Amino acid sequence: MVNKKAQLKIQQMAFMLIAVTLFFILVGLFVLGIKLSGLKKQANILEDESSLAILSKLANSPEFSCGEAFYSGKTNCVDEAKILALKNKKEYFEENFWGVAAIEIKKIYPEKKSIVIYEDNSQSKKYNSNFVNLCKKQVDSDGNVYDKCEIAELLVASKENEI
Amino acid sequence: MSFKKKGFQVSFSWLFAIIAGIFILFLAIYISVKVISNQSYEVDTTTAKEIEILLNPLETGFEEKSSTTMTTATDTRIYNHCYTFGNFGEQGLQVAQKSFGKWSDAGAEIKFQNKYIFSNEIIEGKNFYLFSQKFEYPFKVADLIILLSPEKEYCFLNAPEKVLDDSEVFPKNVKLIDCSSDAVRVCFDSGSNCDIKVNMFSETVEKNEEKLYFSDELLYAAIFSDEEIYECQVKRLMKRASELSELYLKKAVLVKQDGCDSNVDGELTQFADLTEDFESSENFRILERFMIELKDKNDLSICRLW
Repeated sequence: MVNKKAQLKIQQMAFMLIAVTLFFILVGLFVLGIKLSGLKKQANILEDESSLAILSKLANSPEFSCGEAFYSGKTNCVDEAKILALKNKKEYFEENFWGVAAIEIKKIYPEKKSIVIYEDNSQSKKYNSNFVNLCKKQVDSDGNVYDKCEIAELLVASKENEI
Repeated sequence: MSFKKKGFQVSFSWLFAIIAGIFILFLAIYISVKVISNQSYEVDTTTAKEIEILLNPLETGFEEKSSTTMTTATDTRIYNHCYTFGNFGEQGLQVAQKSFGKWSDAGAEIKFQNKYIFSNEIIEGKNFYLFSQKFEYPFKVADLIILLSPEKEYCFLNAPEKVLDDSEVFPKNVKLIDCSSDAVRVCFDSGSNCDIKVNMFSETVEKNEEKLYFSDELLYAAIFSDEEIYECQVKRLMKRASELSELYLKKAVLVKQDGCDSNVDGELTQFADLTEDFESSENFRILERFMIELKDKNDLSICRLW
């Protein structure tokens, strides 16, 4: 009789212990879930901040900027010949030199045209843009060299992590 | 004679509850410690990423030089890592912060390719000084970032005119007069008890019995960074110069198709090869001549490439 009572108590305590452990596991999983979604959100914010910061300096980076090759429009001036050459320089994109998901230039005025410099295969991207001068050297019918500049939009995308 | 045995009797349920309680308590403490250490790892990693983002506006664009300060919430240790593999090499940053008087383990390493940070391998403090400078060789290659700890004071002795002109943008811990006795003494061309010797004529910086060669704009980078970091970053800069030379070669072809010949193809090809084979800062002595030649030829061209 005493033996049976003790057995019952062991069973009761074992069930209690399993219930308490399960409760803590569930609470832990819940907290972890919230934390992970927060982490992904933070990662997205950091990615976005990073792409915005890169956008602001990309037009002036040596791979894009006009430098002193043109006589006007130094700030936020993108060299069209350079970006066309850059499109074929796979070294920059194999190692994702700028750490972004896409770089694109959209000509706005006078003609509308888009030049995709780089695009990775990520599904979801968030674009930020900045207006720039897009300049190139041209030669007129008399053989004189002149600068031709157009208004364009420089777009930089960051990767979006799914939450 | 009889002995009365008096025992302390604990019921089974009490014993079981105590054991289970101890188990649960230890589990809770273990999980809390793990969560706290994970959290500090997360904060350190986020801080490293934030530092990387903060460095972006520092890249000067058209400004020659600029300086600013960066303040962290607690005492922070920044580990500067540099790697030379691949087409551009890599810049790594790791951060550890002090909490409850103890340094945490460093967070995950944040790596990026488009920045060049010159500093000691470990920099410690709360307010960091950042000094950025454009590097042209002969075209713009990158913006250099020099990261200084506030805990170290530098004293420039017999500084030449060129250095004096930059004094306005020097961080607060770089002094030309009223130096403290424990400041790092940087002597230009002459001086006694020097920790760092700079020879402006032969373009060398001597420290810790090692000689670093610099090219004009790399002077401050050579003074303020560890030898290994300097050599590694300079090699990375030359790798980028090589890639940029190839980019300009491609541009030259495109511009030529439009009827505008830049005429620098030969020099540019040679320069691309030389910068690709760059081994150490000593190579600047050979490269300098080719660089000047290339610069002069581009400056005279009607269709300048840069």
